[in-house]
Amino acid sequence: MTLADPAARPFREGLLCLDPPGLLASRCTTCGAKAFPARTFCPACRAVDGLVEAELSAQGRVYTFTVVRQAPPGVEMPYVLAQIDLPADDLRLMATVVGVAPEDVVIDLPVTLDLVPFGVDADGAPLLGYAFRATPAEEASR
Amino acid sequence: MSLTPAHVAGVGMIRFGKYPADVTLERMATAAARAALSDAGADLTSIDGLYVGHVFGGPVAGQRIAAQLGLDGKPVSNHENYCASGATAIREAWVALAAGLHDVVLVIGVEKMTDRISGGVRPDPGDLDAAVGYVMAAGHAMSARRYLADHGATREQIAMVAVKNHAHSVGNPYAQYQKPISLEQVLGARQIAEPLGLLDCSPISDGAAAVVLCSPAGLRRLGVTASAPRVLGVGLVSGAARDVLGVEVAGAGLHRAAPVSRPGSCPASAPTRSTWSRCTTASPSPRSSGWRGSGSSRAVSARPGPPPGTPPSAAGCRSTPAAACSPAATRLAPPVRPRSASSPGSCAGPRALVRSTGPGPRWPTARAAP
Repeated sequence: MTLADPAARPFREGLLCLDPPGLLASRCTTCGAKAFPARTFCPACRAVDGLVEAELSAQGRVYTFTVVRQAPPGVEMPYVLAQIDLPADDLRLMATVVGVAPEDVVIDLPVTLDLVPFGVDADGAPLLGYAFRATPAEEASR
Repeated sequence: MSLTPAHVAGVGMIRFGKYPADVTLERMATAAARAALSDAGADLTSIDGLYVGHVFGGPVAGQRIAAQLGLDGKPVSNHENYCASGATAIREAWVALAAGLHDVVLVIGVEKMTDRISGGVRPDPGDLDAAVGYVMAAGHAMSARRYLADHGATREQIAMVAVKNHAHSVGNPYAQYQKPISLEQVLGARQIAEPLGLLDCSPISDGAAAVVLCSPAGLRRLGVTASAPRVLGVGLVSGAARDVLGVEVAGAGLHRAAPVSRPGSCPASAPTRSTWSRCTTASPSPRSSGWRGSGSSRAVSARPGPPPGTPPSAAGCRSTPAAACSPAATRLAPPVRPRSASSPGSCAGPRALVRSTGPGPRWPTARAAP
């Protein structure tokens, strides 16, 4: 999506960068493992020193998904919730999949990170979250 | 390290269901607790401490329960581990017994969900998983979807879990729904989180279950001379940051199966009437049919059987999450017949497993409504 409102900021600090869209992780300089969201320790080797910020690949694949058709009040449904593999980062994370009909989502569907509106803050300024969008076929085959 | 053994001296439970507002968390817990105390032959002065597992009960629910139950002033602790809360309370009680700190403790798992949960259970709002739209049913649905792909399983096979569970409910006076369902009904139910439908998901429920756990010295204090089921092990793990579901969700305290088990337990497949009676205690002759599973050594109850007409209990399940299917030997008529809960809610499958074995507790007479 284009950032129509330059005042828009991530709904949580340290979670994503906006231009280009990217998820911010921590990377362990001891063992190389990444973690999202960023953590102050390495989940793989438990090091607490030498953790640096790293931007994750925007390209992923659907590991598994569901179409949520019942949720607590105030949630717009249905929506597709998925676990997304980021092969370049050896990470799996959870996110919604947008821009594709629920019945067209399949395991291994190529997806690309995108920014999505995430409500407004206390001052009414727009907030941004993240989701994954089905990667267009011509890009996915490259 | 030497651990003092922990034994189950008594159990109690009320029927799960959807109760009106005046059937409070405290009332349900008190009813289950009194049944367990009665089952154990314990009075209030025999109890060293109270362990209460709950999620939605609010601050110091255990102390509120103690004040209604008559255990005020005793050590009371509250244990919140989401679906594993009841089993975690059992674990902490077991730890206290194993360490020799207490000899007779009461453990209660209780939840009043129907007046505060709607549409499903989700993580804490501060949890990133909540921000991306996670609800509990969705997590199980994603697991199911991947399982189908990885193992070549079919949707029908997953649906058979619900068919089997409902088959178990028939004749279980504590079950929220006590009717069989067909495969077609499961497959045809409205979708909740695909591929899971309404009948694959656990309902939103109110209910309570309680156990009296004792050290050998505690059994002597209560005058229990027959051998009582012994807790063989309790497992507890939490979600890892490397898991997709982060520590905040999976870390809700997942118990996994205790490492020690015995042959002979409830069949995993859909039971027939005969398998149900084999893994439960069917009246009128519990000593001849109950607790033993198929060929286990936990068959013989040295305790007296129930009076005529005592309903079958839910004893003998292979895994017994504290608040979900505790061995139940006491029937408590609910104050009202539960209405159908309209929405599925909590964790679709209990992950909190506590194992015990040995002869079942004795079968007390029916108790009044909570």
